[in-house]
Amino acid sequence: MKKFIYLVLIVFFPCQLLIASEAEDTDDQKAIKLVNYVRKADRVEKKVVDHSKFPALQQEFARPQDVTLACLSCHTERHTEIMSNNHWTWDRYEKLDGRGEVSVGKRNILNNFCIGTSSNRETCTRCHIGYGWKDESFDFSEKENIDCLVCHDKSGIYKKEPGKAGYPFEGINLNVVAQSVGTPGRANCGVCHFWGGGGNNVKHGDLEEAMNDCSTKIDVHMGTNGEDMSCVECHLTENHNITGKLYALSSENKNRITCSQCHTEEPHADALLNKHGYRIACQTCHIPYYAKANSTKMWWDWSTAGRLDENGQPMHESDADGNHNYLSIKGSFVWDQNVKPEYFWFNGLADHQLITDTIKEIPVQMNKLDGAYSDKGSNCKTAGCSKIWPVKVHRGKQPYDVVNKNLVQVKTYAKNKGEGAYWQDFDWEESIQAGMDYVGLPYSGQFDFVETEMYWPLNHQVSSADKSLKCIDCHTRSEDGRLASLNDFYMPGRDSFAWLDNIGIILIVLSFVGVVIHGGLRIVLRKNCLHDN
Amino acid sequence: MKIYIYQLFERFWHWMQVLLIFALAITGLEIHGFYELLGYRNAVLVHDFSAWSFVVLVVFAIFWHFTTGEWRQYIPSTKLVKEQVEYYITGIFKGADHPTNKLVYNKFNPLQRLIYLGLKIMVIPVVGVTGMAYMYLNYPNQGMQLESLDLVAGLHTAGAYFLIVFIIAHVYLTTTGHKPLSAIKAMITGWEEVDEKSARAMVVNEMEVALKMTRARLKTEENKSELLDKALAETEEKLGVKKEEKFRDVVANSGAGYFRINRKGVYEEVNKAWANLYKFNSPEEVVGKHYSLSRSPEEFEELEITFNKVLKGETIPHGEVTRVCQDGSVGHHTVTMTPAIHDNEIVGVEGFILDTTARLLAEKELLENKIRLEQLLAEKGLK
Repeated sequence: MKKFIYLVLIVFFPCQLLIASEAEDTDDQKAIKLVNYVRKADRVEKKVVDHSKFPALQQEFARPQDVTLACLSCHTERHTEIMSNNHWTWDRYEKLDGRGEVSVGKRNILNNFCIGTSSNRETCTRCHIGYGWKDESFDFSEKENIDCLVCHDKSGIYKKEPGKAGYPFEGINLNVVAQSVGTPGRANCGVCHFWGGGGNNVKHGDLEEAMNDCSTKIDVHMGTNGEDMSCVECHLTENHNITGKLYALSSENKNRITCSQCHTEEPHADALLNKHGYRIACQTCHIPYYAKANSTKMWWDWSTAGRLDENGQPMHESDADGNHNYLSIKGSFVWDQNVKPEYFWFNGLADHQLITDTIKEIPVQMNKLDGAYSDKGSNCKTAGCSKIWPVKVHRGKQPYDVVNKNLVQVKTYAKNKGEGAYWQDFDWEESIQAGMDYVGLPYSGQFDFVETEMYWPLNHQVSSADKSLKCIDCHTRSEDGRLASLNDFYMPGRDSFAWLDNIGIILIVLSFVGVVIHGGLRIVLRKNCLHDN
Repeated sequence: MKIYIYQLFERFWHWMQVLLIFALAITGLEIHGFYELLGYRNAVLVHDFSAWSFVVLVVFAIFWHFTTGEWRQYIPSTKLVKEQVEYYITGIFKGADHPTNKLVYNKFNPLQRLIYLGLKIMVIPVVGVTGMAYMYLNYPNQGMQLESLDLVAGLHTAGAYFLIVFIIAHVYLTTTGHKPLSAIKAMITGWEEVDEKSARAMVVNEMEVALKMTRARLKTEENKSELLDKALAETEEKLGVKKEEKFRDVVANSGAGYFRINRKGVYEEVNKAWANLYKFNSPEEVVGKHYSLSRSPEEFEELEITFNKVLKGETIPHGEVTRVCQDGSVGHHTVTMTPAIHDNEIVGVEGFILDTTARLLAEKELLENKIRLEQLLAEKGLK
């Protein structure tokens, strides 16, 4: 027995060592590994500037532009920084396959929500960081048109007015606003990034109003009962160059934010989980659901728009949760809450269906994400290779030119009837013509509606580790497996070769049957089998 | 009758393999998606740990096989494969004898040799290598590149099915030993119960091997008696006879002749085999007589010298001698004499004899044939 114990020890000691070496640091890992970040609790923050004491901000402001000039009187060259920022230009020149460098900025690109800003600037530019961009006469080199306040207001009383080309509501005390300025908080970013597409959480699904003050259940980083991080703590910004972007309006793999900038490339104590990071984005496991507080729009069908009530007036209908599921001006919608993402291979590159591009496939992919299982190793198109990403897919139907086979710009907004705006006149023919005239592109006069899909890689509403996906959520044969439809590769637990399994099972059954028959015969004939002794 | 077949490490190795293969199979099938038992993560962790344990065990086993020479057990042979298969298909139902005997130097039947060798050089390496690829090349954009896991997974799964089928057949076939459980008991205790015929064959085989080894050593070494003692002790240990049963009893059942002579030179005991070799009808006819009856007068002198040496405590292998049987005919055997000890005193001489008459006759015939052949060749002018 003693010898036996020695043997066990001798043979398994090396194994123990091996396992121990793989699992080192386990205890330290109770605390999350962090770099380049100081926890709020460990910070010493002192207010070193009090803008209320600056005489320049105590003067009477006749126009909001005067506030800008007051800002620039001290921050003298800051306007040069902001004027090259996409928030100002609404232009982003990036390379697209086969089309060279084109602008995929908000100024030109189409989406499958409100379709496009061209011909609708007056209302869309409520989210432009400027004053007065109501048509193409807007002067992008005029520094006084910069709206500093929308981002830097900390008073909470500054608001831009709808349909006013970026001007604030009248009557706001601009002195109070100007003297309150500071680092942009989540409400500053959120006023546009939460409300894009004409309502709360319409577009992203993982960015919405509730995140102005949410618990860590909604977002483990932003939860005000937790680390309470603001947007710019991840979207690090220097000289008004804001890091991070989304593929609704970009196509190149640059200026991105990664989880690893704080969490490192090996955030887990478990080596096996870290290895998953080679091919799986952190977001995939750590954002198991999105739209956790309020619903997000999943479907937008423009083809049903235009139904008016008995008085010939536009109307709206709401679903059980109070979300509009029909608007005469926009068509019908489907909203959803606590949505499971869809999963795609993604390498940081995206294509775009430009207004000038011919429609080649249906549904039209507005911003096709590039990537495949085989995009790896020496095949990698980008530094990180393709990883599996969670994506909100927004589907819908929108008008296209049946003859020219391209998507169309629609003039939706106008203050008055008779200017060709769909939201006033409900006439597709005219509003498409007006939109296409605005961008200077031909329109055949014949339109129909085509199904489109737009992809929104998810990055926010990160769940706590215990709510993250578990192995079995993907490694399962179940149809409900998170990766059930991402089948361009072999994944253990999900995939198998049916023929091989069948052969294996048949062999096992046959050997059992053989044993039963052979053993049974031996028992039946046991008299013969007994040996002499 | 029981003999000692499996050494400690062998048994340890075997049962650790049982444990690990079961752990690997249960977790492996879960990982393959057949069921949920430990939870996927635990299944993977247990599977990986078991796999590494298995690798370590294999390293130790390889070392053991080569240091002990046990690897020779796996040298494949096609001899008797057919007979072995036929035995399992028909013979076993008729109560036929096993076509091969289990020996310490040859403990596997030819079918086992082939299958175990196949496992060792094909199945285990394939499953092991694909398993390592599974574990360490599973994200193939790092380091070495695998196009995808398809092939690795397929081979690994195929190997697993093969092993499961092997285990079913293997466990069943353990029941085909002397008694249904004797093979399993042997793998637990090391001692296997075998029928008398196999045991006898084994004892003779062991003794012959021991004697051959001794002879070879005697040519070079000086301290002869010590060497013989050692050889006998080795045989005894290998057979386990010392621990289990009296040497004499084993010899009595072995076909070797056993004798004990007291200090006065009178036979106190001989076994049946001895009596048969000397052509007596029963051992009783010999007991009480003087040991001079066993030799011709000339050769007895030499025996007497040896006898006296043994009484002084030496163990002497006498090599090949010529005996005189009761009817006056002669035979040949090897004899080993060792002091018979009772209460720490030498009370006489005991030993065993192994008949070599048949072998000598055969050797003689061979020699004659050789001579005849050479003559023939010479006549034909071929030489």
